[in-house]
Formats: sequence, structure tokens, C-alpha cells
Amino acid sequence: MELIGLANYAVYMAIFIGIYAILALGLNIQWGFTGLFNAGIAGFFAVGAYASSVFTSPAADGRLGGYDLPIVVGWIGAMVCAALIAWPIGKVCLRFRSDYLAIATIGVAEIIRLVVKSEGWMTGGARGINNVPRPFGELPYFQSQLAYLALIIAVVGLVYFLVERQIKAPWGRMMRAIRDNEAAAAAMGKDIEQRRLEAFVFGAALMGLGGALFAHFNRSITPEAIDPMVATFLIWIMLILGGSGNNRGAILGVAVVWIIWSMSELVTDQLPQEYAIKAKYMRIFIIGLMLQLVLRFRPEGILPEPDYSNHEKKKKVPDANKASDASAAE
Amino acid sequence: MKLTHLAFAATLAGATALTAQSALADVKVGLLGGVSGPIAAMAPPMLDAAQLAFQQVNDQGGILGGQSIEAVVGDSACNPQNGVDSATKLVNVEQVIGLVGPHCSGAVLAVANSVSVPAGVTLLTPSGTSPEITGLQDNDTVMRTVPSDDYQGRALARALLERGTSKVAVAYLNNDYGTGLAESFKDEFEANGGAVAGYAAHEEGKASYRSNLAELSRGGADTLVIFDYGDGTGLTILRQALENGFFENFVGGDGMKSEAVINELGAENLTTFVASSPVGTASTSLDLFRDAFTNVGGDPDAIFVTTSYDAGFLMALAIEKAGGDKAGIATALREVSNGEGEPILPGEWEKAVGLIAEGTAIDYKGASGDLDFDENGDVPGAYALFEVSEDTFKSIGEIK
Amino acid sequence: MTFMDLINFYFVPGVVLGSIYALGAVGITLVFGILRFAHLAHGDLATFGAFAALAFVTALGVSVWVALPLAMVAAGAVAIGLDRYFYDYLRERPKILTVMASLGIALMLRAIVQVFWGVDTETYTRGIVRPESYWGLRIRDRELYTFVAMFAIVGVLWVFLQNTKWGKAMRAMSDNPDLALLSGVDNRKVTMLTWAIVGMLCAAAGFFLGLNTELKALMGWTMLLPMFAAAILGGVGRVEGAVIGGLIIGVVEEMSVLVIPSEYKAALAFAILLLILLVRPTGLLKGKVL
Repeated sequence: MELIGLANYAVYMAIFIGIYAILALGLNIQWGFTGLFNAGIAGFFAVGAYASSVFTSPAADGRLGGYDLPIVVGWIGAMVCAALIAWPIGKVCLRFRSDYLAIATIGVAEIIRLVVKSEGWMTGGARGINNVPRPFGELPYFQSQLAYLALIIAVVGLVYFLVERQIKAPWGRMMRAIRDNEAAAAAMGKDIEQRRLEAFVFGAALMGLGGALFAHFNRSITPEAIDPMVATFLIWIMLILGGSGNNRGAILGVAVVWIIWSMSELVTDQLPQEYAIKAKYMRIFIIGLMLQLVLRFRPEGILPEPDYSNHEKKKKVPDANKASDASAAE
Repeated sequence: MKLTHLAFAATLAGATALTAQSALADVKVGLLGGVSGPIAAMAPPMLDAAQLAFQQVNDQGGILGGQSIEAVVGDSACNPQNGVDSATKLVNVEQVIGLVGPHCSGAVLAVANSVSVPAGVTLLTPSGTSPEITGLQDNDTVMRTVPSDDYQGRALARALLERGTSKVAVAYLNNDYGTGLAESFKDEFEANGGAVAGYAAHEEGKASYRSNLAELSRGGADTLVIFDYGDGTGLTILRQALENGFFENFVGGDGMKSEAVINELGAENLTTFVASSPVGTASTSLDLFRDAFTNVGGDPDAIFVTTSYDAGFLMALAIEKAGGDKAGIATALREVSNGEGEPILPGEWEKAVGLIAEGTAIDYKGASGDLDFDENGDVPGAYALFEVSEDTFKSIGEIK
Repeated sequence: MTFMDLINFYFVPGVVLGSIYALGAVGITLVFGILRFAHLAHGDLATFGAFAALAFVTALGVSVWVALPLAMVAAGAVAIGLDRYFYDYLRERPKILTVMASLGIALMLRAIVQVFWGVDTETYTRGIVRPESYWGLRIRDRELYTFVAMFAIVGVLWVFLQNTKWGKAMRAMSDNPDLALLSGVDNRKVTMLTWAIVGMLCAAAGFFLGLNTELKALMGWTMLLPMFAAAILGGVGRVEGAVIGGLIIGVVEEMSVLVIPSEYKAALAFAILLLILLVRPTGLLKGKVL
């Protein structure tokens, strides 16, 4: 047992958690604060990952690329592209309520996935894009991972700060007002559609950034990475377990779920050799079961939504009301 | 965010406690495959085939002077997220000396880029067929026992023309495997005067492909070339094409040469079906593997089992050759299979160990081909066409 | 291309595919309507039902048509159990938690199928069945059975919902749960009954999917999205809407190959869904707005 190995593993885990934390923060803006059921995270993840890869990778035959732009430009480009794609989608889909919005966004994500897979001239098709530059990629293994982790922590910190500031600003108060009681907010003359669209686009841009960070970490992006299970539903589990409506909860949820996800393999590896393959199926079972246990004992999320209002006398809206508004109002 | 820190500490402590036990094995190799996920049906035979190689090593006196070799299985789930996660654990927590796998090209690219190349661990994939793998900046540590799709697609195109088929329709799975084969096949087939009368990709996992087939058959070809997996969508397509009589002749790549096709459709319905698959020039190599794998209850006609076995055996040979030095394995891989030296056939571990000890050069002749790595770590393919005869696949001659 | 070709190779397969979608979509729409959440384990429950039928075929040596009702009962029992142990205690909580729980159940069911039945591709019967020709209409008998069975199962469900005491209770729960509760409907029993029916529908959907193609561990999961699209298309909570939605999506998917590249087949179902939602935000038949 080498400590440096464990350190490498821990650093990798932290990097992965950081990348998914950005996705979860993006989803938190959409669901946690605004009540938009976006089940198409994978779509925006893909747009960001591919946009940044195309902008920054060296030229290759048969697909877009060769711009060799600086990585920062790639990341900003990823956010802009994801936002640009999200804007018309939001314009069209946000009029649907809750579950209709969910299925509409799943559909959009599937269409994006098929376009990415099939339009080889743009994305390299099924082959994907390779040789995407990674910041500090030329350093040795441990140092390189550590440097990338530092970068990720900086980005997550910045995103966290921005989101928190937005949420505590009048904008955030308005968003929660719309989420909790749409009719009242509308009666007060708020432009609900516009506000919702803003939240949707803001969240999508963060998802695009997460995709870009992922692609640069692996120095490649392939259509296999935008599978709905690992790129959409996993993030939902993370946010809901962590505590939707709470940014720290979102990040913590990512950490807890990914630790369960990853460590469960080490647990099932302890089974004897002849069960080595069945152990992998058992692992999936254990992941599902752990999810049930967390839901049973912490159904409100590990960190529930904090009371953002400063008025003591103002009654806090109970959780049940909040979600039933999103999923069963009218 | 103290809780996050606590969680990390727990991760570390947990990992230490858990792996203390499995550290007993002498030489550990990572065996990374898509156990869960879209290729779940293909992965177990592939892993078993590689395990067979390690079992032979252990049965014949072990590795590096009597130590045992153990494979630690990791689940890449056929996507980069799980692939990198699993590879990180294998390389860092389990401290494996080399990686056999992952199975899917996307996972190979991600694992090579972010784990195995930086960590200096040699990666040998038995089924990552994407041409992108050739172009990896890998310090020569990423290799594969499966030829790039390009070879097979072209060889199959020439073979069909030689057999007098000049007009075909092509149905291919929309992933790196299917697209790679289909593109090179079409290119070569048309360059040599053949006509591709229908050419369409399909998504996996749909229940019906009849309209796809009807559309393909409108071009007037009576031969359908399928680049897909015989225990997945390829089976559905072949079934629906047979049942509805859209085509008369069927041709598959190595992915279609699967026992599942015979088991589910029946040999009597497959008289007009041929499939190409990689073979070694030393024809006894394949037979040796077939016997050994059948003896342990494996199915030698499953997809990619020969390349998986070869990857396992080659990895063991390279470890022995390099004297257990992690950094020397990539070089050793080339040395044990470069076409020069005493030939070693599948299962001849004791003989190989003796020769390596003497300092004699050895050359592994694998079940899936001679496996002489080129400068990119790719192998040229040698292929044969197979037809279905008496419930199994029989070779009807090599194709070039 | 002749008209019969169009019918035989594009329309008939579409209807068969649509019938399978419909069976799944009816179950999804019932959960949506009565229990008010998106049941993501639906596809994997269908996989479980299909493999349960396989187990009855291989273990008891019975015909597939005997195995189907047995598998339906088994899946119905599993569905009741799932509700009892995993969904029930979340009932008073936000519905999103139940959605997440069902996602976990999907993973667990898939793992169970993979551990017990392995991951090899299976079929109920070996060999192939060539279609019969009925005055130029080429149909395989099992396709006919699929279509007929779908209408029979949904028909029985329809009669049950319209005419029996419990069926009416279910509809009342769907229309207005508070009112239903006040008028003495036993919430618990209706929920249990719903799950039994949903489990049976899942098994039927999985069975017919397996009968027409093959059985694979991921077969249900890959059907989940089109099934949801069908349920939403028809209007949430509307059984007849789910059937129409399923058939439309099946036929449109198969027909789409005529106009767009076949790799976009799956996308077309969603494109249609988006278009219809734009015109009629509550689905074809006026569904519930949750």
C-alpha cells in the first residue's frame, strides 16, 4: 500500500467531485431555486464539452477544429455555447409545467446526443475528439492532478460565490417567490417568464462549463460520456440527496454520492475471484440500496434549504409545499 | 465545508482498510471491462478469456520466479466517467503493474489520457478499435491486440469482390466500432469497382429495424453487410432481415461472429451468412486457445475473446520479460511479439519462461494473429471468413 | 415502392412497436395520474417481467402464453412490494424524492436481473418465424398476438376503470385525491391496486418486447424514454391517450426512415412530442397538468 497511490486516488476523487459540483450547482439554480425540472443536463454538458474541445484542440481531419485557442477562451466559449443553445430551448419549453418540461428536456438532450454522434464533420462523430489540451498536463502524474485540482477548486469557488450572490440578491428573492407562489409573484408584476428563462440559461451555462472541465481533464470527449445515466440522472441524485435549494448541500451531495459510487467497487472487489464479475452487478445493487437508505433517513437532503429571509415573523414555506407547487400546482 | 473534508478522510481510511487484504497477491494486473453498461453481454467472456491466460501462468509455475499473477477486475461501464474512476482505483489503490482493457474506445481514450499514460502504466486493450487510439500521445505505452477497424473493413471489401459480390447494402451500428468498419469497407469496396446500394447507421437498443432494412433493400442489393454485435442489435437486425426476406446473403464483421447468432436463430437459417474474424497465421494457435477455453467452460466463438486472451497472455509475458519493472513493460511487449525469435503459442508459458531466462528472443503467435506491434502500438490484422456449419463457425479461407 | 410495401415494411412494424410502447405508456400514465410522479423504474420492471416469463418457460417448460400471466402476477407482486418498502414512506414528501427513489429501484432491478439471469442475450423460442401473407399483408402471428393482446389488456383495464367500484375509486384518486379521500376512498388499497396493475402492464410490455426481439438486461431501460414520450403525448393520466401516443410514436419512428437518416430515428419521437406540446400543452387528449 503506497500512500502516494491513495493520495492520487483522493485527488482524482476531488477533481471529479469538483467537476460534478459545477453541474449540480447549475441544476440547483434551475430546480432548487426556480423549480424548473430540467432532465436534459447531458445535453448542455455535451455542448460545453464539445465546444471547448473544438475551440482548443489541434486540427484533425474530418471535423471542425484546429483553432488552438487558449483554454480560458474554450471554457468561456463552452458557457456561451451552452447558453446560446439553452436560450431557444428555454423560450420554447419553459411554458411547459414540471413533468412536461422534464420530458421535453430529456428529448432535447437525446437529440443533442444523436447530433453529436452522427454529425462527424462537426464533432468527430462516434470517434469523438482526442488531444484536447489539459492545463498543467505536461507535469508528472501527481503534480498534474494536484494542479488541475487547484484550478477546479478555484472555478468551483468562483461559481459558488457567484451563485450565492445571485441567490441572496433581489434576483434570488424573486426567483424563490416565483417558485413558491407563482400567482402572487405575477400579481406583484414580476415578469415570470423572463426570470425563469434567465435561471434556465444561467444553469445551462454552468453545465456547459462542467462539460468543458470534464473534457479537458480526460483530454478527450466521446459520445459515450453523455449517457443519460451518468450525465443526467446521477446529478439529480446528487442534488436531491445533498439538499436542493442549498448550494453547500449540492456540493456535499456530489461528494457523498460519488464516494458511494466509487468506493462501492472497492467493497465488492473483496468478494472471491470467481465472483469478480457478479460483484460488479452487486455493486450497482448496493448503489441503488444506498440511495434508498439516504432517502429514508435524510429525505429533506443532507443539508436542507436554509431560510434566506431575514424576517423572523415571516413563516418559512414548508418543503412539501415547495415541491408540490412545482409538481402538482394548479 | 468540514463535512466534505471528513468525507475525504473517510474515503482514504476506508480504502486503506479495504485493500489491505487484497495486497497479498504477488503480481497484480488490472482487468478493465464494460461489465455493466451497453456491452454487458460481451464483457464476461472477454474477461474470462484473459483470466484463462493468467490461470495458465499460475498453473505452469507462476510468474517472476514462482509468484502468482492476479487480475483485479474493474468496471468501466463503457463510459469515460466510470472508466477513469475504475482505472484510477486499479492503478493507485490496487497498484496494478499493467492494464488489460478497457473495452470501449471512449473509455480507452479517457483512461489513457488521464490515468495510465501519466502514471506510466502500460495499457493493452483487446477491443478498443477507434482510429483515435493510434494518435494518442502515449509515450508508447498504449497498445492493442485488436487491429484498427481499417484493416478488417478493407480486407472484407476485397474478399467480397473476389467472391463475386459486387453490390451490397451496409447497415452499421452508430458507434466507433460500426462507423470505423463501415467507412473503410465502403471506401475500399467502391474504389475497387463495387457498388454500395444502401448505407445507413442505426442506434442500438430499438425494438424494430424493419423500416431501416426496407429502406436499405430499396437499392436492389441482395447482400447485406452488418457491422454490429451479434449478441446485441446485430442479432435483431439479422433476425428481422431473415424473417422478412429483405436480403439473401448476409455478411458480418468480427462482431457478428457470435455464438448467440447461432443459438438464437438456428444454424439451419444461417446458410447464407458469413463473417470475418481475425486469425493467426500459425493456425494451431487458434486451436490451442479454443481447446483451453472450452475446457474451462468458455465459449471460444464469443466476440473479442481471442484478442482478450492474447492481451492477457502478452501482458504476462511482458511482465516476465521486464522482470516486473512497471516502466519496462511497454518495451518488453514489443520484444516478446515482434516477429523475431522462438515462436511461443497460446498456453506455452513454461517454455516462454525458460527461453526468457536463457535470454533467447521469443515471439508470441497469438490466437487472434501474430500481433507484431507497429510503431503506434497497433497490430496488422490477418482475417479469415467463417460460415456457419453444424452449429459452429468454420473457416472457409483467409482474406487479404 | 408499392403501397403494400409501405404497409408491410413501415406501417405494420410501427404498429407492433407502438403496441409495446402503448403497454408501457399506459402503466406510466397510471402512476402519473394516480400517484403523481414519474416512475423511472418502469423500464427495468418490464425487463424483470420479461425475464420472469423466461424463467417460467425454462423452469416449468410451459408455453410462453402460460408464462405471460404468471410473469404478470410476479411483476405485480414485485411492484406492490416496491411501493410498500421503498415508495410508501415518501408519499407525504415532495414527489421528486419518489422519482429519485424509483431511479435507485431501476438500478437495483437491473442488478437483480443480471445476477440471476446473467447478461447473455436470450429468446423465448429458438429460430426465426417468417411472416404469413394475408392477401398481401405480411404479418407474423406473434405480431398479430402482440397487437391483439395489447388491445385486450387495455380493454379489460378500461372496463375495470369504468365499471367497477375499485376502478372508479382509482379514477376518483386520479381526478381529485382530496375529494376522493373525503368520499371514503381507501387511499392505501387504491395505491396497492394501482401498483399491481402497473406491474402487470410492465411485465406484458417486457414480454412482448422480448417475444418480438430478444431479452437483454438493458432492454427496458432503452425503451423508457419513448414510453414516457408516448404517455406525455397522449395526455398525462389518460389511458386511451397513452395507447394513441404509443401507436403514434411507434409508427412515426418506423416511417421516419423514409425522410430522415436512420440514425435520427430515435430523435423523431421527441421532435413530434415537442411539436404537439407546443400546439397542445396538455397532450393529445386533454391530460392533467401536474
